[in-house]
Amino acid sequence: MKKKFNPIKDKSAEIIEYVMSSPDMPSDESLLFKIRLSVEEAVENVVRYSYEGGIGWLEAGTQLSDDGLELMIVLRDAGTPFNPLEREDPDVTAAAEDRDIGGLGIFLCKQMMDNIAYRYEDGCNILTMTKRL
Amino acid sequence: MEVKINAEGGKTLVELTGRIDTTNADQFQKDIAPLMQGDNPDIEMDCSGMDYTSSQGLRLFLMLQKSVGSRKGKLVLKNMKPQVREVFDITGFSNIITIL
Repeated sequence: MKKKFNPIKDKSAEIIEYVMSSPDMPSDESLLFKIRLSVEEAVENVVRYSYEGGIGWLEAGTQLSDDGLELMIVLRDAGTPFNPLEREDPDVTAAAEDRDIGGLGIFLCKQMMDNIAYRYEDGCNILTMTKRL
Repeated sequence: MEVKINAEGGKTLVELTGRIDTTNADQFQKDIAPLMQGDNPDIEMDCSGMDYTSSQGLRLFLMLQKSVGSRKGKLVLKNMKPQVREVFDITGFSNIITIL
């Protein structure tokens, strides 16, 4: 299933709930926790930063692999080209005074999901997150 | 998400319940604003009812820790659920904030 949201300003919660209500989602609570956190961080990145003033669209979708063992979440937007995977991971050993909060969201996605891929295609950012179920 | 703040002896006891996410991080920031003032704060947070936090919640815990640290105080988070604890662990926040 997939759906296009437009405009996306202030729509994070609605988009996250749409993805999390997919019939493709597992029932295991611990898995759902990790998936929700990743979806929230990835959607927030697009809503906050991809378009000037949040005026633009985001297509969110889910898909199960043929064997049903892998969940794929795909986010597509036509905003500023940005590969979040190129962002340097935060220094998780730094002291409180030196901690910078930037980059924490995508870092959490990387830790919580099994695979994250980014590509820029036909003028769109496409982020694909995969979780083994 | 609910934040209950009670003073008991020299301590400030805080009870966190629910989820801290994109819909209520701003409210959480307002709710914990009273904890950002006073000398030598001694804050104990019961997180047993806290179900979830995103990076926006983490950002506010970091802000609180820095504020408490700069005032020579103590911040302790207690009874965290394993899933939430994992978020603090993998981001290294468990090394910055005392979690019992």
